[in-house]
Amino acid sequence: MNQPKEIFARLDRCMGCHSCQLACAVAHSSSKLSYSALTEHPQPKSRLWIEWVAPDKSVPIVCRHCDDAPCMHACIAGAISRTEEHAVLTDKDKCIGCWTCVMVCPYGVIGRQMEEQKAYRCDRCPDLEEPACVSACPTKALVYQTVEDFSAAQRGAAAEELVSPQEG
Amino acid sequence: MVMVDTRYLIVGGSAAGMAAAEAIRSVDPSGSVAILSEEIDAPYFRPMIPFLVSKKKEANQIYLAGQGPYQATDVELRLETKARSIQVEARQVVTENGDRLSYDRLLIATGSRPHIPSGIEGTATPGVFALRSLEDARQVSKRAELTEHAIMLGGGLLNLKAAFALLERNIKVTLVVNSPEVLSQLMEPQDAHLIRQALDDAGLRIITGANAVQIAADGEGVTSVILDNGAEVPCQMVCIGKGVVPNIEWVDKNDIRLEQGVVVDQNTRTNVPEIYAAGDVAVTFDPITGDSMMTGLWTNAVEMGRCAGTNMAGRETAYGGTFGILNATQVAAMPFVSMGIVHTKNTDYDTHTKSTPSSYRKLVFSPDADGSLVGALFIGDISKAGIYKSLIREKTDVSGFRKHLIDNSLHYGHLLCKEK
Repeated sequence: MNQPKEIFARLDRCMGCHSCQLACAVAHSSSKLSYSALTEHPQPKSRLWIEWVAPDKSVPIVCRHCDDAPCMHACIAGAISRTEEHAVLTDKDKCIGCWTCVMVCPYGVIGRQMEEQKAYRCDRCPDLEEPACVSACPTKALVYQTVEDFSAAQRGAAAEELVSPQEG
Repeated sequence: MVMVDTRYLIVGGSAAGMAAAEAIRSVDPSGSVAILSEEIDAPYFRPMIPFLVSKKKEANQIYLAGQGPYQATDVELRLETKARSIQVEARQVVTENGDRLSYDRLLIATGSRPHIPSGIEGTATPGVFALRSLEDARQVSKRAELTEHAIMLGGGLLNLKAAFALLERNIKVTLVVNSPEVLSQLMEPQDAHLIRQALDDAGLRIITGANAVQIAADGEGVTSVILDNGAEVPCQMVCIGKGVVPNIEWVDKNDIRLEQGVVVDQNTRTNVPEIYAAGDVAVTFDPITGDSMMTGLWTNAVEMGRCAGTNMAGRETAYGGTFGILNATQVAAMPFVSMGIVHTKNTDYDTHTKSTPSSYRKLVFSPDADGSLVGALFIGDISKAGIYKSLIREKTDVSGFRKHLIDNSLHYGHLLCKEK
């Protein structure tokens, strides 16, 4: 079975520049252009958040498309389902804005479009090669990989960190 | 040895039963799964039925099959089939038609029905409803055509949603509430200010501190409601929303342990090993207080049904219990979330409230030294409510970031960095 790719955040690399959020909002606008997106109604929203933890950490937070997906099971309108690519998506047309998904998401990553009374979330940009946030990240703090590839890369990086001082 | 396929039988085709069927299928692709439902409609999202009254949705838009997580195939559905009894020794369910259906694993998921208070005379009158099923919604919608004024008895969420559906049909609606304020199960009167204001602004008329004693009628059905304060209010429709009672009468207490509902263990199993129960019919427990209770909430029924189905299919899974209060919704353009312990009058809970013209927050912490979060009420701004829910449920040590809870700056990063 093909492992689905996921968005991972490497906290040590995030500078909190918010480029990902801008790219996300633009990618989810009607025009897909940053200038005209500014004036669209309803206002295009970023589907990920860059939060600050004192004293010095910025933390990208985005939907994890959980295996167990509490939002999907809690939804009283059948608006949330899983795609073949393993993404958990909210169907805007079916959403009734009851906010049950917001109440059960342990990561707080489901946003509310108040003008339309609809919930929104990361859709992993199904029409793009890789999600817009990942492409926009200047420090590669956000990566789009399978769990396997990501953990292998993380292990490699950790091993290098242990080894290199001795070599030096 | 030949492996014989397991026969799963589910009595009740709503949230718990359907979620269980889905879970069974995800673990056991080969066993047979049959669901009995006494309704005339295929399973549907019950909380959506007010939309049939407001005419914002058609019945075929709210059926479960193929929507959201409800994708299982090869599940046999028997509609208009009511179970009469369980033959525990023979492992059979007998239906009202006298059919005997054999099972290897049985789920009792017969849900609940509206509680109709005995103190009100004339509740069987045409035009009096307790909105519960899709068929009820069709009847309410039909009666709405003849209705200028509807009276809702009970100030809970169900009645509020029904009231708004009727308001959208340009019907005058009066809500009669025994409590001092609406939504008394979900918040205290002083917490309900913003919601009450939004309801008033939306044109809903509310009478508090009153009960109906009699429903008067003529040949066309209901004509008025007489209240215990002596007032007689003319109306053409009455909706009763006074809570629910579990459908357990068909279960023999000599076979299966019953309290208010069907008693289950942490694997949602009854005292009979191959029989499980889930949803409104089952007695569950509150993970905060440990008290046993019954919930009557869609999301809880789904969660419990999934757990039951997983266990029935042989994959051991514990049910973590649920809060008695776990509601999110939006009424009159005012979103709110209420969860855990939110009634704090005359208690020693450590309570923090914050009020703005457009929002209200109440956080309830345990009075113990650990000071964990035990309840939260958000009105107007409900952002990130799910983080608070998991803090309550997991009894998370919040001492390191308590101020972020109170000043509404909490985000998942605080938990993430705490773990490191």
